[in-house]
Amino acid sequence: MTTANTHTFDAAPAIEARGLTKSYGGRTAVADLSFAVHAGRVTGFLGPNGAGKSTTMRLLLGLERPEAGEALIEGRPYAALIAPMTRVGALLDAKAFHKGRSARGHLLALARSQALPDARVDAVLDLVGLSSVARKRAGGFSLGMAQRLGIAAALLGDPRIVLLDEPVNGLDPQGILWIRTLMKQLAAEGRAVLVSSHLMNEMAVTADHLLVIGQGRLLADCPTAEFIERHTDPAVYAATPQVARPALLEEAFMRLTAGAAEYSAH
Amino acid sequence: MSTAALLRTDSAVRPTHRPGFTDLVRSEWTKFTSLRSTWWSLGVMTVVSLGFTVAATATYTHDYPHLDAATQSQFRTDTVGLILQPAAQFAQLAVCVLGVLLIASEYSTGMIRATMLAAPRRTSALLAKAATLAAAVFVLSEVVAVACFLIGSRIVRAHSVVSITDPTSLHAVLGFGAYMTLIGLVALSLGTLLRHPAAGISMVLAMQFVLAGVVGMIPGSVGKHLAGAMPSGATVIMGSGHNASNVYSPAQGLLILLGWVAVLGASALHTVKKRDV
Ligand SMILES: Nc1ncnc2c1ncn2[C@@H]1O[C@H](COP(=O)(O)OP(=O)(O)O)[C@@H](O)[C@H]1O
Ligand SMILES: [Mg+2]
Repeated sequence: MTTANTHTFDAAPAIEARGLTKSYGGRTAVADLSFAVHAGRVTGFLGPNGAGKSTTMRLLLGLERPEAGEALIEGRPYAALIAPMTRVGALLDAKAFHKGRSARGHLLALARSQALPDARVDAVLDLVGLSSVARKRAGGFSLGMAQRLGIAAALLGDPRIVLLDEPVNGLDPQGILWIRTLMKQLAAEGRAVLVSSHLMNEMAVTADHLLVIGQGRLLADCPTAEFIERHTDPAVYAATPQVARPALLEEAFMRLTAGAAEYSAH
Repeated sequence: MSTAALLRTDSAVRPTHRPGFTDLVRSEWTKFTSLRSTWWSLGVMTVVSLGFTVAATATYTHDYPHLDAATQSQFRTDTVGLILQPAAQFAQLAVCVLGVLLIASEYSTGMIRATMLAAPRRTSALLAKAATLAAAVFVLSEVVAVACFLIGSRIVRAHSVVSITDPTSLHAVLGFGAYMTLIGLVALSLGTLLRHPAAGISMVLAMQFVLAGVVGMIPGSVGKHLAGAMPSGATVIMGSGHNASNVYSPAQGLLILLGWVAVLGASALHTVKKRDV
């Protein structure tokens, strides 16, 4: 404990939500949501469709304004960041680019807005495997290719923080594996990765840490393994070999949310 | 591809300087020039301008002997208007579409989020778009205006001689570029406010081709003055100022159009700042 002094300069968390609240037309989408996301691990943002995951991500990125609370990136609101794409990379929806522009044109425009060298565009195109179609109209891309373009945009500025909203939705197994490997690598490099999903199995194998959300409220914030242990039937848990325990996430999630009957109503 | 590829080992991945408005303009310029629709719009603007200049001047020159004295005198006192106004009236259609699409297509595709993530202070992104559009439209329109003037003045010279070095002609030629540019900004503002390409284009075309006609139906000079105060009335800025059928002078026309741009532009900026993306 003699080294405790060295930790007094602990930086702000990569991402921090403080009492975030947002409603649409009187209907609450996100309610008093507080959590922190830390570097060096994949944080899974888990919840059924309509739970408020995408809304939270838009709030974190300053695309929407909360009615209450605040969203901080390394201690500051997103809008206060200089060259924000070099701090935070985000993939919100695939295909969120102009259909008539080439992948390269799209990324060049983004790179120039951040004063990044054009060469970085070719580097990320290479990284996501789109170099051979870089000059083709992005409107003709398959969902998998569009997703890669979105990832390329997110990684363009070599950000320390990466937000991915349902990145594996609609992807083929190869694409899913690619994203999964990428997220783990990003975390291993010391970045903070926040990834949302409504797919239990996906989160069970990728996330080190879970933020579970239901109807806009935070239901759990703990390591994935701990979440499973805490919310599965103890007998089932004990009878399951360690390697198979990630498969229990779905059961744990169902037990946790069993009280909220509204889930089945939506 | 392999995900084991470098990310942070790439030392080139730092902004070369602290990015500012110039970088946003470079970004918007990159977007602007990398779409085929931009080149189509600008091409249509050029061709339609030249076409209507030739059509209008040739028709009047051909019909001149059969025109009544009042029309003949109008032809001679506002020759620049005859050369440039029909061109602008129709070619503005392309600029209107270009202005609306520049922003509304970002909303319809979802690209707007990438734009706002890159420039989270938001208004600077819209201003950079406006600067890009204005620069491109102004420069091209001036080239087009000079070409139209040279061609048109040649066609009409049997009945009226105008030189591009006359102050009146120069003002009119500059007015053509100013009109196109400001109309482009009106369209950009409407596209921002409405977000949907079809809605934006319908609105701006209704404004330019229907509105003046409708308010002009109000009887008496009120209707005439109101019609002239609509954005489309600002074509007076490329006239000689001596046309008896105009209720406003070229300078007043410019002020009217600047007023529209100021009002619509300010609402667009305000909306972009406040509205969720
Ligand atoms: N722009 C919007 N306008 C109106 N309602 C919205 C909007 N965005 C989200 N919602 C509503 O907010 C709730 C949360 O949605 P969302 O954040 O998309 O959930 P998730 O991403 O977890 O599926 C849902 O009830 C959804 O219908
Ligand atoms: Mg969602």
